[in-house]
Amino acid sequence: MKKAAKITAALAMMGLLAFAAAGCGGDDSAKSGGAKDTVKFGVTNFADSLEPTDNFFSWVVMRYGLGECLVKFDDKMNLTPWLAESWSISDDKLTWTFKINDKAVFSNGNKVTADAVKKSIERTFEKSNRAGTFFQFDNITADGQNLIIKTQNPVPTLPGMLADPLFIIIDTSVTDRDYAKQGPICTGPYMVKEYSKAKAVMEANPNYWDGKVPFKVAEIPTIDDPNTRAMALQSGEIDMAINIASGDLQLFQDKAKYNISELASLRTVLAQINMNEGRPCHDPKVRAALISCLDRETYNKVLLKDTFITGKAPIPPSLDYGFDQLTDPNAYNVERAKQLLAEAGWKDTNNDGYVDKDGKNLELDFIYYSGRAELPLYAEATQSDAKKIGIKVNMKNIDYNVLDSIRQSGDFDLCISNILTANSGDPAVYLNWYWKTGDPQNATGYSNPEYDALSDRLAVEFDPAKRRDLMIQMQQILLNDGAGLFFGYPKTNMVSKVTLKNADIKPADYYWLTKDVAPAE
Amino acid sequence: MQILINGLKTNRAFAVSSFFVLLLIAVALAAPLIAPYDPLEAVMQNAYLPPSAEHLFGTDKLGRDNFSRILYGASYSLSSVLLLVTIIFAVGTTLGVLAGYYGGKVDIVIMRISDMMISFPGMILAIAVAGILGGSLINAIIALTIVTWTKYARLARSMVLKIKKRDFVEAAIVNGGTSTHILWKHILPNILPLMVITAASDIGAMMMELAGLSFLGFGSQPPAPEWGLMLNEGRQQLQTAPWLMIFPGLAIFVTVVIFNLWGDALRDVLDPRQEE
Repeated sequence: MKKAAKITAALAMMGLLAFAAAGCGGDDSAKSGGAKDTVKFGVTNFADSLEPTDNFFSWVVMRYGLGECLVKFDDKMNLTPWLAESWSISDDKLTWTFKINDKAVFSNGNKVTADAVKKSIERTFEKSNRAGTFFQFDNITADGQNLIIKTQNPVPTLPGMLADPLFIIIDTSVTDRDYAKQGPICTGPYMVKEYSKAKAVMEANPNYWDGKVPFKVAEIPTIDDPNTRAMALQSGEIDMAINIASGDLQLFQDKAKYNISELASLRTVLAQINMNEGRPCHDPKVRAALISCLDRETYNKVLLKDTFITGKAPIPPSLDYGFDQLTDPNAYNVERAKQLLAEAGWKDTNNDGYVDKDGKNLELDFIYYSGRAELPLYAEATQSDAKKIGIKVNMKNIDYNVLDSIRQSGDFDLCISNILTANSGDPAVYLNWYWKTGDPQNATGYSNPEYDALSDRLAVEFDPAKRRDLMIQMQQILLNDGAGLFFGYPKTNMVSKVTLKNADIKPADYYWLTKDVAPAE
Repeated sequence: MQILINGLKTNRAFAVSSFFVLLLIAVALAAPLIAPYDPLEAVMQNAYLPPSAEHLFGTDKLGRDNFSRILYGASYSLSSVLLLVTIIFAVGTTLGVLAGYYGGKVDIVIMRISDMMISFPGMILAIAVAGILGGSLINAIIALTIVTWTKYARLARSMVLKIKKRDFVEAAIVNGGTSTHILWKHILPNILPLMVITAASDIGAMMMELAGLSFLGFGSQPPAPEWGLMLNEGRQQLQTAPWLMIFPGLAIFVTVVIFNLWGDALRDVLDPRQEE
């Protein structure tokens, strides 16, 4: 009896195993069979919702191939037509006319008229407080396919600003949608089938106005951990992945299997320095000492294996704003750093290895998040180098979602993030956000009237050469003031299997899944 | 004490495992003498060097010597895990004995709290507690204490309940012994061996849990040379610099095995009922 029971159990077990194995097998065949119609794209994602006016969520709306703007940047950051086929400016520099492409339709079949665009832009201004930091309009009028925008002041870079994902054109006549989960009705090649922060499933837009959509389905799992993302690509779980980490890039060198698309991005890894009254970095000498003690070249060349360009100025060298002619007074020099600290009155009186003043050690809180692999590394390298001159750096790992509020509340000494410097095609917005007096993003207490004056001149300057000149001067002021810690400029990448074509990374960081990503022939 | 010495003489497994435990402790204490480099000294030009004669276990992402970090990690991990087990042992046993001896309301209060604690999955609760308190080694120890003391409390309570009914306790009560006297002289010595055995065999498990919390970022913070944390840091280079995961992993493995074997052997020595 006992024996019979044992045999039965063993048989049942084997049956279960066979069943499980069959399950795996079925999965595999589905994978290879459906490959042509489906693309699987491993991404990082910060958006809980697809409401484009919330936070920076519009980036995701564009990255996933859902939304499109009037204007698009090409591979050299020049403006090219998208939903608008052309645009012009009046002689008084206040009136812009955009001609909307006659073919353009929303995914529900509604035509994209100038009136629809007008309502979409107005909605953005109504709901997002960030819109106003781009430009202020007097009025917007629609005339057939012509959209006329009158601004209060001359806005030299208005078309570039309208290329920012914040100004994605949506169909405002549709009101019965949950934007957070279903996304708005847009004009892009894909539509939302289901969306959560963990995974999105997109399906082809049957009414797409600009050619045939190459895939029926795009599955976009969020794989925030860079190593997991690399492994998912290696195992074939995904067909393409954004931003493979520095250490893992060498795993995909086999050209017969993978395409690596890599370029110097428009991003800067910036640690904002809190120089408000009462903070140690209020003292310019402490700031200068801190910046001087960091061997940024080694960070980028060795620790990050040359996947980052060594940092110096606010604007990365991939944009032509005088990177080489700027001089950094706080270049790597440990002796100078020590001397500066001593001049500022910081000395190690109790021999604990850290300098102190009035009985308190020089301690800095370094806020970072680990969603981007380089940030903890920079933070640790800073901690290690700062210790050599007696500054104690306390690392604080935080969730990305609270980063913005910490940054705006000023509860930090150093706050690192990886920032796109030219989301409107021009770094002026970026320079204002982080350093202009009174800007909400600038909670560091940095204020320099000379800088603000240059910024005001820049705001109304149309001549590109003069704009460049102004921005070079502004950068030099920031460097002289030690107004920020510029660690490096990432090269970004997109790695795809050779079964895909045109999975290329673009300088503007919001064109990921485009209509051009297609199966290779 | 006499039992332990006898055990060393007669029980070979206990002798051998005790030797290894002492060796581990010696390594941990002597880390500053043996380690060829400062575990925190970052020579960034030397990042990611594979194991070689100069750097036995290679170097990590900041060019720190992996071997030295693991040696220092031994003292770091051992001292924290011993502290943790001591705290749990003390808290759990005390509460359990009180609950078991006094019974009534004391018992109800203590045991219901303990029931509440075990109605959560342990590691998840520890993560939640450590997450709320913020990542640090002390907070990880607090979190694990909150989760684990109930086991000791229940064990101690059940043994006290059994011993309380024995004749010698009754006799002590009849003779007018005070509660303190009875607890110290009659009850504690009788439950202590089993409690110590439990604690000893828990060292390995606790070490894993502490390393687990550090791995998840709720325990030790960089740049501490803690094994769990080192595993987490090495994870990012799993395929390109595998020595950064292999060696800390091996260190945890070896240590846990040694303590588990020692815990088992100690039970054989201390608990006469197990003898054949």
